[in-house]
This record gives sequence, C-alpha cells and structure tokens, in this order.
Amino acid sequence: MSVSSGRKLTQILGAELDKLVTLPLIWFTLMGTFILNLVLAAAFTSVGVQRATGTQNILNIGLASMGYLQAGFIILGILATCSEYTGGQIRTTLITIPWRGFQLSTKHLALAIITIPVAFIIAASGVLYTFIMMRDTKIVIEIDTMITTLIGATGYLTLTTLLSAAVGALLRRTTPALVVLLGYYFIVSPLTRVFLPSNKNFLNYFPDTAGSYMYMPSSSDEISVLTPMQGTGISMLWTLSFITVAIVFYRKRDA
Amino acid sequence: MRAFNAELSKLFSLPGIWLAFLIGAFAPALIASLDSIAQKEEIIAGVSTRLSEVGYIGLALGVQGVIILGVLAVSSEYLTESSESGGGQQITTSLTVISSRFHFLLAKAGAVTVISILLCIVAIMTTVSATYLILGEYAPAFEWSRLIGAVCYWTFTAHLALGITFLTKNGILPLAVLIINSSVVSFSVLLYRVTKLAFYLPDRAGAEMFMFTDNTSTGTLFDGFHTPFTGGLVMFAWVLVVFIVAAVVFHRRDVAA
Repeated sequence: MSVSSGRKLTQILGAELDKLVTLPLIWFTLMGTFILNLVLAAAFTSVGVQRATGTQNILNIGLASMGYLQAGFIILGILATCSEYTGGQIRTTLITIPWRGFQLSTKHLALAIITIPVAFIIAASGVLYTFIMMRDTKIVIEIDTMITTLIGATGYLTLTTLLSAAVGALLRRTTPALVVLLGYYFIVSPLTRVFLPSNKNFLNYFPDTAGSYMYMPSSSDEISVLTPMQGTGISMLWTLSFITVAIVFYRKRDA
Repeated sequence: MRAFNAELSKLFSLPGIWLAFLIGAFAPALIASLDSIAQKEEIIAGVSTRLSEVGYIGLALGVQGVIILGVLAVSSEYLTESSESGGGQQITTSLTVISSRFHFLLAKAGAVTVISILLCIVAIMTTVSATYLILGEYAPAFEWSRLIGAVCYWTFTAHLALGITFLTKNGILPLAVLIINSSVVSFSVLLYRVTKLAFYLPDRAGAEMFMFTDNTSTGTLFDGFHTPFTGGLVMFAWVLVVFIVAAVVFHRRDVAA
C-alpha cells in the first residue's frame, strides 16, 4: 500500500502524540512542575516583597524559579524517549514505522507540540502570580518586554526538553540519562561558573548558559553577554546537533 | 545474614550501580580540586575566607553517588520487566524468599549502609589526596571528627533516598529532588530566606556535621547554626521518620499495587 508522504507524516505524528498523551507519568510530571513552580514563585515573591528595594523587576522574580523549573522539563524529555525502551514498545513502533530517522524526528516534533503550550502556561503562571502579589509596589512593566521574555522562556524550556529527549534516545535508560542531565544542569554548570570565572566567555557557549540569555533581561555591567538572538541560535545549535547524533545512532543501532 | 548477603549480591549486579560508584568515588575529588584551584591564589595572598572548608565542599556536593545507590536499590525491585520476559517485578520474588517484610527492609538498609560507608571512605581518600596535591603545604588539616561527620552525612543521605523510594516506588522523583537538593541551588538555600526553619531540613542540618564550622558570624546561610552533633541528630531524626513511614507503608501495601 502506497501512502503519500504528507499523509504518512500526519499519521506518524498522530501516533507519536497519542503515545505521549497516554503516558500517565507525563501528566504527573507536568502537574508536579506546575504546582512546584507556583510554590517557588510564592517563595521568591515573599523574598522580593521583604526586600522591596524598587530595583527588583517582576519578571526577574517571576522567572527566578526557571532554574528549578527546567528539571521538570528535563524529566519530560527523558520520559518521552526512554518509555519506548521499558518493555518492548520500541519493536512494535519500528514494525509499524520502519523509517527510523523519520520516526525519531517526528517524535521530537510531537514532543515540541506538547511542550510549547505547557511551557508557556507554566512560565506565565509564575510571572502572573508575582504580578498579582506585587501589584501595590507600583512597578511599571512594559507589556511587550513581558511577552518577549515569556516567549524566550518558553523557547528555552522547549529546547531543553528536546535536548533531554535526544540524550534519552542516546542512552536509552531513564536513570543514567536523568543523572547525567540533572548532574550537568544543577551541579557541574553552577560549579564551573563559580570556580572558573575566568573562562566565562567560554562557558557562555554551553547550552544552559547560552539558553538562559533567551529570557534573562540584558544587564549592561557584564562585557561578555550574548544577545537573546545569539543565545537562541547557540542553544538551538546544541539541541539540533544532539538530535542529529541521536538519529544517527538510532539508525545504526540494534533496537 | 543470608538476606543481607543476598541484598549485597543484588546491588552489585545492578548495571547502574557502577555509575554510582564512579560518581561517588571521583565527583567529590573533582569538585574539591576545582575549588582548590580557585582558592589557591587567595590562600597564598592570605585573604581566603573559607580555608577550613576547602575539600569538604567536595564531600558536601558530591553525594550524588550514594543518592543513586539508595534510589536504585529500591527502584530496581519495582521495575516491571518487559512483557517478553514475563512482565514480573523483582519484588515479588524477593518477598517470596524473605517473607518478613521488616527483615527485607532491614537487609536492604544494611546493604546500602555498608556500601555507602565504603564509598565514602574511598571518596575521602581521593578528595584528601587531590586537595593535598593541589594546595601542597596550604592544605587544611583534615580532622577525624569532621571526616566521620562526612561519612554519617553520606550514609544518612543514602538512607533518605532509600526510604523515599520505598514510598514512591519509582526512581525518577526521589532522584530529581535529591540531586537538585544536593546542589548549590538547593531548596533549603531558597527556603532559608523565607523562614529560619530551613535550618532543620535534613541536608542543611546534616551538612553541619562537617561544614560551616568556623564561627565568624556574618548572618548568612553559611554560618554554623547547629553544633556538629545536633546537626547529625536532626538529620538522623529525619531518616528515622522517613524509615518508620516507609516501613509502615511497605508493610501494609499490596505488592502489586
């Protein structure tokens, strides 16, 4: 039976979306991330209210939880690819869709379709909470800055999710993938920033630091900062190269 | 005793355990040497403020190894095998062989304790030698009481991971929470700004067994709040509570549920 290529794409995309949506762990992760984000936003806001120096920006406080928030999205990405390998689901998948590279790229596309709205809602909820709580402190905020920052945060979270999915597809097991990614994002990266400040220019090109420029408001006191567009480009490059490596391995390797 | 041996053998045959050993043995040394390199110039200039912490910071941040150990010890039991090999869980076999659930829990905790103590001793050796190698004559003296505190901290952390995983049955949540919490951006650092009760969280209190010992009060998070002994006691209380809850839940719960 010959199916046109466009039809094939929609069918595979539908199947991949179906698989993702029916994973209960994904919904637990997303809900947990949402609740955690609100709790953290509350904590950061109460700290911000106490200080009340006026220089504090609502966006800064609302997005301060991003550092923790990305953990939820890392888990999301890993779950999406590693769930195929618990049990023999991967073999069923490959029997029905024998085009491996095509299948994995569609999986990433399906993941992105789910991640983008969720990331936007979660990032916006944090900012919104801060905004409501700090209404009376009379901090003016331009609506277009807010929107660009939120889009940047959404993009960062989506790229992180896709990167984690690619790493998950490379390692094929949940625990090592989780340890490697969380270890990098939460241990290695902050520590190298503290201990090796002289290499700052160099560190700017790593996926998390480059990505953070997508939503960080630009501060003028640092020399070596990247513009949001540069940050986006670099972290997109990282994500794409990880996906490419994952696809190459996926095509070569025994399932 | 045979149950204990069985648990040890099960732990050593897990593939993920080698990752835990690798991280546990070398991550603290790596962090300590990075810190030593960063601190060396300040120490030579005589302006270093945290000379007594050099090296120990590696032991405080390098507990990932035992976290993985504690989580894997339990989550591997609950992992559902693929349908091609029967779709069973190891826990049903384990509980058929050791019918007393309490004994099973004890054997598991005992095996994790022994391995995490050994792992911590290896980590201390690599960390101390890395610090001496880089700092030479400036290296701080490593006191026995603080090193024993570090061993206690690692063991208690492994037990917390074990107990929490018995409650969740899935390794992802405890792994994520504990790894984030052992990093420099831990939840206790955040909560400390909101309430002083954060000093009683297990990681913060436990770290006082060997960190934050100099009492130059600057009003920050990195001041000593407990004495090493009470810090250990607070963390032990957390471990005890988690274990009692885990034991009760594990005792009452259907295996398949």
